[in-house]
Amino acid sequence: MTKTLFVDPAELSKPSEIVFENIPANSYKKTVTEARPDFADAELVRIYRDMTILRAFEDMLNKIKTQGNYNGIETTYPGPAHLSLGQEAGAVGQAYLLGTSDIIFGNHRSHSEILAKSLSAIEKLDAGTLMTIMETFQDGKILKTLDTIYTAKDVKDLAAHFVLYGALCEIFARDNGFHRGMGGSMHAFFLPFGVYPNNAIVGGSAPIAAGAALYKRVNEKPGLVVCNIGDGSLGCGPVLEVLNFSAMGQFHTLWEDKKPGGLPIIFNVWNNAYGMGGQTNGETMAYDMLARIGAGVAPGQMSAERVWGHDPLAVIDCYRRKKALVEQGGGPVFLDVLTYRLSGHSTSDQNAYRSKEELDAWAAVDPIKAFREELVNAEVASDAYFEEMWAGTTERMTRICGWAADPAISPYADFKKDYHIIERTMFSNGRAPKLADGEPKFLADPDSCSRVRQVAEKNRAAFDGEGKPVSKLKMLNIRDAIFEPVFDKFKEDPTIIAYGEDVRDWGGAFAVYRGMNEVVPYTRLFNAPISEAAIVGSSVGYGLMGGRVISELMYCDFIGRAGDEIFNQLSKWQAMSAGILKMPVVLRVSVGAKYGAQHSQDWTALCAHIPGLKVCFPATPWEAKGLMTAALNGTDPVVFFESQRIYDAGERFRPGGVPKEAYEISIGDTNTVRRGADITILTIGATLYKAVDAAGILSKEYGVEAEIINLHSLVPLDYTKILESVDKTGKVVLASDACARGSFINDVARNITELAFDRLDGPPVVVGAQNWITPPFEYDEFFFPQADWILDAIHEKLLPLKGYQPKTGVFTAVDQLRRAKAGV
Amino acid sequence: MAREVIMPKEGITVESCLIGKWHKELGDAVAEYEALFDYETDKAAFECVSTAAGVLLHKYYEDGDEAPVLAPVAIIGEAGEDISALIAGGGQTTAAPAAESGIQAAGEQAAAAHGGDTQALKASPRARGDAALQGVDLLQTAPSGPGGRILEADVIAASAAVYEAEAETQGADGNPPENRLPEPPRNDGTAAGARNAAAAPEYIDEPFTKIRSVIAKSMTASLQRSAQLTHHHSFDATMLLAMRGDFKTSDEAYGYRGVSVGDIILYVVSRALANHPEINALVSADGMRKYNTVNLGVAVDTPRGLMVPTVFAAEKKSLRGISAEVRLLAAAAREGRISPDKLTGGTFTVSNLGATGVESFTPIINPPQVAILGVCGVTGRVRKGRGGRPDAYSSIGISLTYDHRAIDGAPASRFAAELCGALEDFSWKTLALEN
Repeated sequence: MTKTLFVDPAELSKPSEIVFENIPANSYKKTVTEARPDFADAELVRIYRDMTILRAFEDMLNKIKTQGNYNGIETTYPGPAHLSLGQEAGAVGQAYLLGTSDIIFGNHRSHSEILAKSLSAIEKLDAGTLMTIMETFQDGKILKTLDTIYTAKDVKDLAAHFVLYGALCEIFARDNGFHRGMGGSMHAFFLPFGVYPNNAIVGGSAPIAAGAALYKRVNEKPGLVVCNIGDGSLGCGPVLEVLNFSAMGQFHTLWEDKKPGGLPIIFNVWNNAYGMGGQTNGETMAYDMLARIGAGVAPGQMSAERVWGHDPLAVIDCYRRKKALVEQGGGPVFLDVLTYRLSGHSTSDQNAYRSKEELDAWAAVDPIKAFREELVNAEVASDAYFEEMWAGTTERMTRICGWAADPAISPYADFKKDYHIIERTMFSNGRAPKLADGEPKFLADPDSCSRVRQVAEKNRAAFDGEGKPVSKLKMLNIRDAIFEPVFDKFKEDPTIIAYGEDVRDWGGAFAVYRGMNEVVPYTRLFNAPISEAAIVGSSVGYGLMGGRVISELMYCDFIGRAGDEIFNQLSKWQAMSAGILKMPVVLRVSVGAKYGAQHSQDWTALCAHIPGLKVCFPATPWEAKGLMTAALNGTDPVVFFESQRIYDAGERFRPGGVPKEAYEISIGDTNTVRRGADITILTIGATLYKAVDAAGILSKEYGVEAEIINLHSLVPLDYTKILESVDKTGKVVLASDACARGSFINDVARNITELAFDRLDGPPVVVGAQNWITPPFEYDEFFFPQADWILDAIHEKLLPLKGYQPKTGVFTAVDQLRRAKAGV
Repeated sequence: MAREVIMPKEGITVESCLIGKWHKELGDAVAEYEALFDYETDKAAFECVSTAAGVLLHKYYEDGDEAPVLAPVAIIGEAGEDISALIAGGGQTTAAPAAESGIQAAGEQAAAAHGGDTQALKASPRARGDAALQGVDLLQTAPSGPGGRILEADVIAASAAVYEAEAETQGADGNPPENRLPEPPRNDGTAAGARNAAAAPEYIDEPFTKIRSVIAKSMTASLQRSAQLTHHHSFDATMLLAMRGDFKTSDEAYGYRGVSVGDIILYVVSRALANHPEINALVSADGMRKYNTVNLGVAVDTPRGLMVPTVFAAEKKSLRGISAEVRLLAAAAREGRISPDKLTGGTFTVSNLGATGVESFTPIINPPQVAILGVCGVTGRVRKGRGGRPDAYSSIGISLTYDHRAIDGAPASRFAAELCGALEDFSWKTLALEN
């Protein structure tokens, strides 16, 4: 939505047609002999050498997996080994021209890409840089081990051993792995050589790689991003979402940096004909030629092309052209790289889905054999030379396998000695108010923003100096309290960007960002397509590159659309990288009201359940500003829940209201909004205000004084104040708008029961929403916890209130059992 | 008209009783409320009184028989009355239930609510804990919680009722009559009386302050409700006093200068108690709560009277830490600004009268703690030294009072001896181990 682009009925209704350009397939025709003028002989030999290393590495893994023995070295390894035997030419061809600022992302079958890109980087980096990388990576731990067991010929030889040994230790789950073995085969990577995370979720890398490309474009960083995915991943929604995301029209129509295309990314699809056992072409996919997809995405057809991936020179030729295109701002590019895996999907694959005839036909064009023959025929080197090369490669691999398999050289992480190895990396708990130096970009003086002036004039509390209520329009509310720290961060951190659906001109569906578009450029604040997976997934990529991002899901209910990106990506990369990656991503999620079953759900429990996410849900302006400030100064992923019921709420509890200056609330703290000695009420979200009503009735009519503690943070959560309160009162009610079954307050109730059992005067009682669909707003009182429900719960389960008549009957044991049995 | 006497039901779970001995034989005259026979349950023996007046006409059971509760046991009627129909019918009339006292009724109501047994009894964990500490019988506690659950408030109410009942038997001032002061002599108009009135008064009546009242009640209750006795030990304080000397002259930066003999004893006690949870414990009528953490009560003399602030988790604190904390607590107690939270929660108390020169005393336990340690002054002693020659040394006495309900003499002595050993061995080495 933008007023500068006119949606013209006259233009749109004219008869016309869509014209497609032809998409080239396998256009490279040169033999090695014909290509010799393009390459030095040493380069051609090195291309083949790298292929032998890739082949030997996976051949070793295959033998370890299937026979427990490689050239006399006995070891076993229970984890996955998704091999790409037969696909080595593509990997080496891709890496050949990539520079040190170019980065690759991969998938579950990416050993070859990791090694090829690393070997390419080693070739391009000088000795000093290589030594610095090895000496500083993990404080030189891997290098120190190598120093004790191997005398290298030179730095490049040492670096090659370093990469092979570190990668194999990572696969074998050893402490000397790139990420202390915590990532493993499907998640191995090595940032210093431009090898970025591989992903065990099919297509999982696509949104992340696009986010990395977004980081490069927004922050004007050199280099491009290669996203390695397989043909099977073209059936995944997030992949299709992100093809569009990376080619959005606004990149060339609206963005201030004036580029001809979209993001600097090459989607490199390894088209090996199978998604596990499902044959893509002809069985599970609609395309006949994968490259066709590019034509459906954008007018430039994503410069799509099919390449014969068994010829490294064909792949190099393609990358030479596409790399130049992307560097001129012409991305994204979509490549269909034909290849074939000679081994199974994994080592347990029975090959039930393909014939021996087919396997034989592809073995005949195995690039390891075919390219060697061509090199010999072209007299680049003799066959005996390659025989010797092979012997050297095998010997080296045997050596490295021996080191990695030997627990004395390559021990496992010692959990018995240090139980907290992973615990320490679940969160980085960093504090980094800005992630880069430099002047943040604005279209105009940020303080000229009309919103800034409006907010400045507002009363900071819900009551004026004499305690009288202030009108809604004149008091600082929760949406202002979120705006303030966000806008301040835009002034402080040049890397921060915000996007999501309708965040720019609309200011977000709930107007939190209203007015920001007057001064913040498109490059820092833009409307995303209705693509929740792409929004969250690209944020992950932007964050792990070292940029700060606030992305937004308009409704909590849309979390399902970004499930993998939140639950498997955002949450896991800090720990899977053993703390090397940081994830400064704040994901704003708005919990709806009034819009029924698919727009009114509080799914905090889903996020709190997933290890690796910090989860907040402020319910007052003071909480909102303090928590957002803390989230934006931190380096961890924070899912920041907001409630549409209370965006208008002013600060009622904090004396003096919301401070004008910046302040942080420690994520994990709790907010005691009312003191009382008789009963504790713990709340999450907008239910706080129902609890306040209930406390008023308890005090006025029954002489019972409730202490209300709002849990504005779910993960982490410090129980100190909760337990102190329960110690005092002995009675606790927990209330939130989430459906009761499996809700977060159940978890809190369980912990209180365990930690304060002897001080409890009754069971902690959970008051959640019904386990139904959310009905229309008109029936709210029957679905969401009300003040009456809290009173009922207290009366029925904790403290019979004299003369009280229960209103719901929901909190009787009989009804509780009935509902459980019925599954409602 | 003949009436049946039925076997009383003693508690909800009792289903039958054994007849012990009949006090009346057939044909004997029986008055209402006159003892008829003895009976017993598995827990107690009772006497059944007649619920009717007349002649004992029939016994359904003989001595030693088992009779179901609420079943007819005897028939009382007029001599010669025909009771065959009554016997055949197995009883047509039942005795009217005896009127019960208010307290019994409350107990019954409580018992009815939870089936009369502590397993089935519904009480919150908090109420159970409170009841154990205050010696309140949950079976006799009326519940106010949902579904007949006993809440904390019910235990507090029951506890208050017990105190009130005791106060009733003791007199309005909480003291039994023999504890009351004699009435002052009235000025009866005699010469002696006039003389008394004119001269300086012989005494001043001074009512107890609130804290004094609390101390009085607590100390009396302690002696009345527990089985206290005191062991006196002493230890060679040579090393300890030398260390204290070292501390006094040590570099101020080390922070040991202010550490007193009493602080050292508290420190050593906290470590010794960690090995003796049976001493570091609370006791109630039916059990003990042994603590893994040492919350050390420290008796402090204040202008208002004795106060006992608590050093929590003393076993985890350093000597300097304990010393500093005790100093702060004592100052706060003396100045009357100590938090009430600091005056509860002790698991063991140390009362140090060393500075007064006392040689031994019998400290009174601070209930519901199991024991208290009295610390006496330094005295010179002589013992047989090397070659049988007299060897003079400095000694400090300790007096350990303990509740014999909870522990026996041998373990108490063992603790005292171990403590003496640790005090004798106290040295820089002890402190080095701490760090």
